[in-house]
Amino acid sequence: MFMHGRILKAGPFPSGRRVRPLVWSMAFRSLTALVGGYAAAAVLATLIARLLPIARVEATSWGMILSFPIYAGIALWCFHEHRLLRVAAAVWGIATFGGGLLWLLGVRP
Amino acid sequence: MTSAVGTTLRQSMAWIHGWLGLLAGWILFAMFLTGTASYFRPEITQWMQPEFRATPVSTAHAAQTAVTHLQRVGADDIQWYIYLPDARTAVTRIFEQRKPDPKAAKRRAPEIVLDPATGDVVRARETRGGEHFYRFHFQLQLPHPWGRWLAGLCAMFMLGAIVSGVITHKRIFADFFTLRWNKGQRSWLDAHNVSAVLALPYHAMITYTGLITLVAMYMPWPVVANYAKPADFAQAAFGTPTEREATGTPAPLVAIGPLVADAKRRFGASVATVVVRNPNDAASTVTLYRHSSASLNGRGPSVTYAGSDGRFLEGAADVGPALATAGVMLGLHVAQFASPALRWAYFVLGLTGAAMVGTGLLLWTAKRRKPGATPFFGLKLVERLNIGVIAGLPIGMAAYLLANRLIPADAANRADTEVATMFWVWGGVAVLQLLRPAPRAWTEGFAIGALTFAAIPVADTLTTSRGLPGSMLSGDTLFAAFDVAMLAVAALLALGAWRSSRSKPVAKIRKTLSETVHA
Repeated sequence: MFMHGRILKAGPFPSGRRVRPLVWSMAFRSLTALVGGYAAAAVLATLIARLLPIARVEATSWGMILSFPIYAGIALWCFHEHRLLRVAAAVWGIATFGGGLLWLLGVRP
Repeated sequence: MTSAVGTTLRQSMAWIHGWLGLLAGWILFAMFLTGTASYFRPEITQWMQPEFRATPVSTAHAAQTAVTHLQRVGADDIQWYIYLPDARTAVTRIFEQRKPDPKAAKRRAPEIVLDPATGDVVRARETRGGEHFYRFHFQLQLPHPWGRWLAGLCAMFMLGAIVSGVITHKRIFADFFTLRWNKGQRSWLDAHNVSAVLALPYHAMITYTGLITLVAMYMPWPVVANYAKPADFAQAAFGTPTEREATGTPAPLVAIGPLVADAKRRFGASVATVVVRNPNDAASTVTLYRHSSASLNGRGPSVTYAGSDGRFLEGAADVGPALATAGVMLGLHVAQFASPALRWAYFVLGLTGAAMVGTGLLLWTAKRRKPGATPFFGLKLVERLNIGVIAGLPIGMAAYLLANRLIPADAANRADTEVATMFWVWGGVAVLQLLRPAPRAWTEGFAIGALTFAAIPVADTLTTSRGLPGSMLSGDTLFAAFDVAMLAVAALLALGAWRSSRSKPVAKIRKTLSETVHA
């Protein structure tokens, strides 16, 4: 059985020093999936739009269309990968470096 | 807690599937139900104005009467919007964008509804009609833009729940044929699987395409990276006509009828919308948009004419594969292209979506209830929210339709009162059910729902001249079908009440579950 089963089934949320770090790590993981996942998906979709060597309007549309499955994939992976550090590094890393790259590239000339 | 995540893929996906469904489930249920009703948005609106019977006229005639009306009330407006009647909409809707008037307080001109035959304002009871369910479906009755953001977030949860749910299933084909009734939790799992798996292509399509309908709001960044002015994207993608400034030189507007006929010839389909910019100015333009029933692509092309002499100015060129994909996704979601039979199929599939979300929520409680044990707070909370939404929302929706017949036709602010009725009744039901034991609350909730829906055709017959069985005999198809559909919904809810009254306390069939449900 899974953890949500164990904790919610047990009733009142267990408190104490043992559990609190787990709550924080799950909160951070969820934030990474939700906010970081959006940022990473936005950055990847925008890179597709900016770099695909096809008509600007078409590349823009492909980026927008693909953004949602990308977001879903990243967010779900955040809950599959066991190592939180790896999750955070990948998601926030893509968002930061991709975002930086887009900033350097500027608006398509 | 991290130990929970990252075992096998199926396990982690089952875990996240449960959370996604639980957190977004209630809003998703409401979005599915009101969205499903929205497939009949124009029909609901027609039903909610029973005193108006349109004389069918051509779109060219309707456009001309609307322009005549607008010349009378707003000859110097900046822009006119005219939404023409079609096979499903009986009225012409117009909207003026007025010149900013320093004297008048900032007031938006309201939308006006015209009789297409005469161009006179329709005299019928004030109502939001089917528009209310449609707006609630993606705005959730919250202030702009929060409702749309929340709806988008829930749709994203849904997309995640679909992907993780599919991964969780190892027997997706066998589940097609598996429904074991009256086996407690096992049955809820089966019902959830059947409603989800059977209509999976629909669920995946409707969720993804729903996000696409508001993609410009949810994911504007690709536009930002490629266009210095976002309006240039709209121009390139949707063929928004070029902005032409008013010259100040007056020039009378040409007759609109021939333009509508010409556009119809160019489209090979009827015209849905007319936009007149700077009417009665030498630089005025008339843009006509194709009706979205003409194609799977929900974004029809447009043509623009000069308003002063009617010459052709520009028309949207063919779009590339990405824009066509986006347009078709939009079209698939709003289903304007669908013929009546397909529309009913959409309606039934929408109900399976509500059933999938509903059974998923019920499964969550069924799985955690232990025979003999006092339910913990979370379980009681989820169960009560389930009753409040799954049994409560249909009652609220029925109350909205009933209010339309019971509030006097000339009452002040009656459109707002109708909407308020829906939420007060829904909220009232959600609170009052707390007074009853949960199993009784389910049965009684469904029973009240059945009664309220059954009351709709009765109220229709008592308060209008278009009720059953007269509407059937006189061939008033829309009214007859609407009232029969209400009786069908009532029967469905009665079935729910009957079944929930017979459900036994959770049975012992729990053994194989840890393997199959959210293992």
